[in-house]
Amino acid sequence: MKKSISILLTLIVSSIQADNNILNESLKDIMNMQSEATAEIGSRSGSKSAINSKVPVDVITHKQIARSGLSSLTEVLRYFIPTFNAPQASLNDGSDHIRLFTLRGMSPDQVLVLVNGKRVHTSALLNVNATIGRGSSSVDLDTITISAIEKIEILRDGAAAQYGSDAIAGVINIILKGITDHSSISVQGGKYTKGDGEQLYANSFINTPLKYDGFVNLSISAVDQKQTNRAGADRRVDPAKVYTHIGIPQSQNYNAVLNIELPQENNINIYAVGLFNYRDSQASAFYRTPDENNPIYPEGYLPLINAKIFDYSFIGGIKGEIDYFKWDLSNTFGYNEINYYLSNSMNKSIGVNSPTSFYNGTLSFLQNTTNLDISKKISKLSLAAGLEYRHENYQIKKGDTQSYILGELHESAGSQGFAGYSLENETDDTRKSYALYLDTTYDFTEDFSLEGAARYEDYSDFGETTNFKLALSYRIVPELLLRTSASSGFRAPSLSQSSYSQTSSFYSDDNTNDSVSMGLYKTDHEASRIFGASELKPELSKHFSIGSVYELGNISFMLDYFYVEVDDKILLSDMQKATTQAQIDVLNKYDIAQLSFFTNAVNTQTQGIDLKLDYLFNFENSSKLDIGVWYNYSVSKVVAFNSPIITRENLYRTIDQIENGQPKSNLKILSNYQWNKFNSTLNVSRYGHYQQVSNDTAHSFSPQWVADLELSYKATKSILYTVGGHNIFDTTPDKWDMSGIGYGYDGIVPYSLYAPAGISGAFYYVRASIEF
Amino acid sequence: MIVSKAQSCIGVVMSKIVLVLFLFFSSLNAYESEEKLKVVIIAKISKFVRWQSNDNEKFIITVLNNTYGELFNRTLNGIKIQNKNIEIKYIDNIDNLSQTNILYIPMGSGKDLNTILDKTKGKNILTISDIRGFADKDGVMQIYFISQKVKLRINLSRSKKNNLQISSSLLAIADVIKGI
Repeated sequence: MKKSISILLTLIVSSIQADNNILNESLKDIMNMQSEATAEIGSRSGSKSAINSKVPVDVITHKQIARSGLSSLTEVLRYFIPTFNAPQASLNDGSDHIRLFTLRGMSPDQVLVLVNGKRVHTSALLNVNATIGRGSSSVDLDTITISAIEKIEILRDGAAAQYGSDAIAGVINIILKGITDHSSISVQGGKYTKGDGEQLYANSFINTPLKYDGFVNLSISAVDQKQTNRAGADRRVDPAKVYTHIGIPQSQNYNAVLNIELPQENNINIYAVGLFNYRDSQASAFYRTPDENNPIYPEGYLPLINAKIFDYSFIGGIKGEIDYFKWDLSNTFGYNEINYYLSNSMNKSIGVNSPTSFYNGTLSFLQNTTNLDISKKISKLSLAAGLEYRHENYQIKKGDTQSYILGELHESAGSQGFAGYSLENETDDTRKSYALYLDTTYDFTEDFSLEGAARYEDYSDFGETTNFKLALSYRIVPELLLRTSASSGFRAPSLSQSSYSQTSSFYSDDNTNDSVSMGLYKTDHEASRIFGASELKPELSKHFSIGSVYELGNISFMLDYFYVEVDDKILLSDMQKATTQAQIDVLNKYDIAQLSFFTNAVNTQTQGIDLKLDYLFNFENSSKLDIGVWYNYSVSKVVAFNSPIITRENLYRTIDQIENGQPKSNLKILSNYQWNKFNSTLNVSRYGHYQQVSNDTAHSFSPQWVADLELSYKATKSILYTVGGHNIFDTTPDKWDMSGIGYGYDGIVPYSLYAPAGISGAFYYVRASIEF
Repeated sequence: MIVSKAQSCIGVVMSKIVLVLFLFFSSLNAYESEEKLKVVIIAKISKFVRWQSNDNEKFIITVLNNTYGELFNRTLNGIKIQNKNIEIKYIDNIDNLSQTNILYIPMGSGKDLNTILDKTKGKNILTISDIRGFADKDGVMQIYFISQKVKLRINLSRSKKNNLQISSSLLAIADVIKGI
């Protein structure tokens, strides 16, 4: 191995000596060359070379995305970005239908997502089950069709001083296709080698060019995904066999994106973006075993949870230039709605009169953001400033009464598998915020640049916060750039964390036949307050990064260290029972047995390194090979507990999830070879070790290697045929190292659902694409 | 444990495949910045254009409101266009425009574009810009990027009015609009 590495290094060093005089190339060859990737994220001073950015920025192009063979934006990011984690949840209610994702092993709500530089609203889902990121809401990335995307920019740095709340672990900026010279249609079909999970995926992108490089672009996609099932046999039933569903849920996902720019002769540009998503997704709860006393399902039953999700955004704006001041006035409206339905279930407390299908309620989140940005370049100084006004609304609407009521025939209320939201849970909460920001860049020389940013925000719920950022880059020699940044940031408590409650009733065991309730209560509820709950404060962060970029010939090498400190991270407490007379009195007043609530629980530290090597080979036969090696190591620690009710012991599962639930190290080796009419892509990923707590014991899971391969043949100038596979060696994560009926290597759930590469195994597909 | 060993072996095999790919191939060059490609394109397309009056001693490229620093000088240093040495002039005001073969108007000058183009109308000057809609707005040649590749758009009518002859081989690889 050592010998191989030394040969490799020799080759690399010798190849970078190659002649690189672009002026000797023909015009045609130059026009076929690919320019280096640019990115707008990370600075408000305009689009810049991504690799020479003052902060680490990655760019994924639409060509790379098209070669991934993936139909989901979440999967695309997991495929390319080593620090991106998005485990597939199962048996976790709403979390099965909306993929959570994290950057750098941090929380899902600590990532800001933008479309064309404009803030995207989060999902209405609050993940209160046992998933990664428990207690957080994140953006639902699968509401955006990937056929509309020109490129994805990923900023691996805190940027709340530039973009506001949530930009703690990083920022993902999705740039939609704009000026282009083609339209396309693509159809893909595939299935898992275990015989399930059939997928049919169709997308189209239609471009209509207009005068002055204006355009109307319409992208439409549809994905029909059948479920995969990797559940183990249910030993509660004789004979034991598989009843429960664990794996990818069955879903139909429809997306449309309309992107319009209408430049005028006077340099005014009117633009509009519309994004629309509808998803119908079905997953299961745990199987209910046969019970001869059950009047409806004596043979047992599997409750099926159905989420119907509507999501749309409208961005409208106008931009131009007055006396060399660039200005941009825009409004972004976003809305997400999740409607829950349950079938093949019953409310046992009603008995034989129970319906078997229920409407379980609706969660919705609305966000409207109005921005005015101005910028001007004065010699070596780039100046940008802006104003922002944001309005947010969060609602919970109750389900059918029979989905949550407590009848007389059973000790607990509601529909089996997923109890509906009750009248008590209904909410309609609003907040607004104002922001003022300033961002300046001063280029002392071509090689030395300094950027400073400040942002003031005033939220109607928690008040004011001001954050700052300083970043500089210095090119010591033409081949070597050094960069560093330091900043402060924040994450406003989400409205879902402030407003969400989910409670259910049951009969107490004191023979009084009185019903009591338990569950998650708002922080402003008197019962929560008696246990120490207070109005949620923002999470406050401090960031530091230092790194270098080395470019020589056909090699680029990036190494960055990062450190993030988050104070007052918001977590969901464990269930609290009364221990003092005052607490007993308040719980009795509201007939509550026990409760949990959100609180600014802990301080965390996350640090690590990102290492990225890109190597491009152009051959004399016009073929080329592009290889990227990306490695991320990040470790998170809980360093302080801020509330007497939060300790490492009583919140062990959550604390361990923060520290060890996600891989600390991840490796991606991405390669693409293009020759004549052929194209091949081989991606190899290594997902590091992780662990999950079950029954107060942490269980460890080994790293997993996954390889993806795609081969394409361009039959004509416009027709492309592709065959490919994900996880082609059909590797699976470790099973639990414990025995158990529910969770265990021989149980219903044999795998940890934290598994970063999924549990469904190898998937193969074929695709035909037409470009015109 | 067996699964872990198998995965470990797969990992080693994968690493070796990638290593072999590294060892198998040799390289030529890497990605260039958009700015550098624009400067190179400006020099390259000059070979495909014939100026009516071409009796200058040098081939002159004028850069208006330069935002490229030393890139023009560095990239084009020592090369010849049409067997002439290149002279690069930098001006901050279109009123200072003197005799030139090419006038390059960077993106930031969009606001004054009508004034700038008025000054070049009828003159034997190849106007080039990366300003959005430049060719539609009566500029001769627009440089733009799609999917990180350079594209050219040529306003044929304006090129003729400026007494420029553009070769058919250049027109074949450009997006040609007829203009007004």
